[in-house]
Amino acid sequence: MQRDNDPRSGRNHRTAAPTAPVGPGVPEPSGVSGGGPVLSRRSMMKAVGLGAAAIAGPGLVAGCSSSGGSTTKIVFEETKPEVVPYFNNLVAKFNASQSHVVVTHDFTTNLIAAFVRGNPPAIDCDNYNLTTSIFVARGVLADLASLPQAKLIDPNIQALVTQYASFHGETSVLPYSVAACGVIYNVDLFDKVGVSSVPTTWTEFLAVCEKFKSAGITPVYQTYGDTWTTQQGLFDYMVGGMIDVAAFYQGLAREGTNLGPNSSVSFEKDFTAPCKQMLSLAPYFNVNPIAENYAKGNQAFASSQAGMYMQGPWAVGQVIAINPKLKMGTFPLPATDDASQTKCRVNLDLAIWLPRSQAPAQRTAAVQFLDYLMQPSILNAYNQANLAFSPLKNAPPQTSPLVSGLNQYVRSGRFYQGAGTYVPLTIPVGNFIQEMMLTGNVSGFTSSMDGAFRRLAVRTSA
Amino acid sequence: MTATALPSQHTATRSRGGAFGNALGKLKKLFFPVAPTYLFMIIPAIVLFTFFIIYPMVQGMFWSFTNYVGYGTWHFIGLANYQAAFSDPTIRDSYGFTLLFAVVACILTNAVAMSLAIALNAKIRWRAGFRTIFFIPMVLSGLVVSYIFTFIIGTSIPIIAGVIHFAPLESDILANQHTAWLGIVFVASWVAIPGALIIFLAGLVSIPSEVYEAASIDGASAWKQFQKMTFPLLFPFFIINTILTFKSFLNVYDICVGLTGGGPGTATTSVAQTIFSGFFSGDYAYQMANAVIFFIITLFFALFQLSVIRRRGGSL
Repeated sequence: MQRDNDPRSGRNHRTAAPTAPVGPGVPEPSGVSGGGPVLSRRSMMKAVGLGAAAIAGPGLVAGCSSSGGSTTKIVFEETKPEVVPYFNNLVAKFNASQSHVVVTHDFTTNLIAAFVRGNPPAIDCDNYNLTTSIFVARGVLADLASLPQAKLIDPNIQALVTQYASFHGETSVLPYSVAACGVIYNVDLFDKVGVSSVPTTWTEFLAVCEKFKSAGITPVYQTYGDTWTTQQGLFDYMVGGMIDVAAFYQGLAREGTNLGPNSSVSFEKDFTAPCKQMLSLAPYFNVNPIAENYAKGNQAFASSQAGMYMQGPWAVGQVIAINPKLKMGTFPLPATDDASQTKCRVNLDLAIWLPRSQAPAQRTAAVQFLDYLMQPSILNAYNQANLAFSPLKNAPPQTSPLVSGLNQYVRSGRFYQGAGTYVPLTIPVGNFIQEMMLTGNVSGFTSSMDGAFRRLAVRTSA
Repeated sequence: MTATALPSQHTATRSRGGAFGNALGKLKKLFFPVAPTYLFMIIPAIVLFTFFIIYPMVQGMFWSFTNYVGYGTWHFIGLANYQAAFSDPTIRDSYGFTLLFAVVACILTNAVAMSLAIALNAKIRWRAGFRTIFFIPMVLSGLVVSYIFTFIIGTSIPIIAGVIHFAPLESDILANQHTAWLGIVFVASWVAIPGALIIFLAGLVSIPSEVYEAASIDGASAWKQFQKMTFPLLFPFFIINTILTFKSFLNVYDICVGLTGGGPGTATTSVAQTIFSGFFSGDYAYQMANAVIFFIITLFFALFQLSVIRRRGGSL
């Protein structure tokens, strides 16, 4: 079904240029394909025979603003709170550098609501996760494969996008910033207990824990109070270090409703060993982790109460804010005794996309701004400044000693997206993990997860 | 209607035999079965109701048979959403919590509101002042109330309970999976009592004072008066209050969000919260199926209540 004649598809009330439908018949200004057989909300309404869209459509289109002329106004959305000022600055520089496009930085709008209204931003640069991957899966994002920038991205990192979702083999999202996490360690405490280099195998890791324990220092600071902290740290690290996470979830999707004792993959089969290994670390944690939360954990680690802390670069920033003098480093958790198997956890902290349905003038302007943002000098500088890793091929290494321990893993593609990040929001995996940590009941956890995914498959595979 | 037609119609109607007049009356009945004034008042209401209530409802029902997320591509998946919803422990638990909460809060609200109404209807000093004070919770937003009570229940009450050594309240009841719902019942009832109170007061005012005078001359005790006169005469108001409070408690949302956010775990997640969560987790169509199930359950309760009213000879 096509979206021709649809007044909503080209609508963007912030546009300065007159709107026009972007469809298969319309020449694309930038080589970005915007068409394709997309079954839209409008076509459904036709199908049901309800005429409300016909009433609402024309009235809403009248919202288009000001005159045409040579400048195009576009909305750029970026909502990561810590870097809003950084991008504000980039937007201002871009606006000053040319006179054809005026970019407005939006850092508040809810994207799902924007898509429901048919009014997404012209260009977006936000966290890419399972929830935003639904935009990809439902085909509402433009195919960026033909942009020259698409060829600059490290294929290992581009593959992270499709691990969650893909749409007809298109390149819907371009990675902008990779956050890598591992075990954060206190450099001075490592020296104090006599650990000269970071552990590279599970046995070495346990030896480090023992050294801390015999020195009377908490080896690992753990917080079960928040459900996300254990999930994204200990759980993701241990599972990612022991199994191929992406392949596991692919297998899970293949099994669908057959998921169970006889399927080729299942949480019971694949997650039992990592979960048991997780629980085996309990003697090395602080007392009563359930009473501790993220803020308390940062506070404790900043005041050198523990040698190691399983958190991401976001926590590094928080800890530095509490104690600017603390010397820290990061290493990936070695979960096996084969050092070559050690990988680090990554996520696409920022990724760029354009909506599929967009007026030609908007598309041109958005691509122009994308060109600006994706220049290696600007992109690499952003990642350098924000303790992140550039997704470009041959990018310079991250020089900050706080996270530089992860450089070789990111550059050589030895990474995974956390096992918890593949779980849809409807399945409270964080609560399940919290319960497992408190009760030690691994089979309860795996059977809860298998049951939840089997029920999910009933409706998603239908 | 022309001037010449008028008299002929009148005579025809009066004689009840004129063929022409009869036909005209039928025509009139056909096009205006009710007086135009009524239509003039009722049609806008029907149009608005259809457009804003019926149409979205039918649309939501339609989506519940698809895998739609609110935008983009979708296809029909038949009854798979319903099948999954019936076996989903999260959804099942939300129904369990919501029904338990609604029944308990409904009983508590009506019992307290009726007692307060009788007390406030008595000949006491500062009657208008007291009535105003008891009315205050009604004008406060549910979210504001629940944020204030989070502090009272979580911080103030445990301190007081600690001083008087009352163990059950020494820790935050909202942080405990098994007791959190009690906190929600308490706060939701606190908010709902004034609304029920007003209706009961209106009912009490409508009872003539002569019946009480006669009863006291006959030597009826206060309890007998309540049992045999006040409660039966208040019964229609009691029915209305039960229906209204039960309906609003089934839809509980803001109090849960403000007090516990649905936690600890998912212990106090109401049906309305589960449905709303679908919009952001990409489960729009799935939660639409849940909403349809919820609608059918609510409909069942409404029909049950209506039949009770009919049996008791009351009316709305």
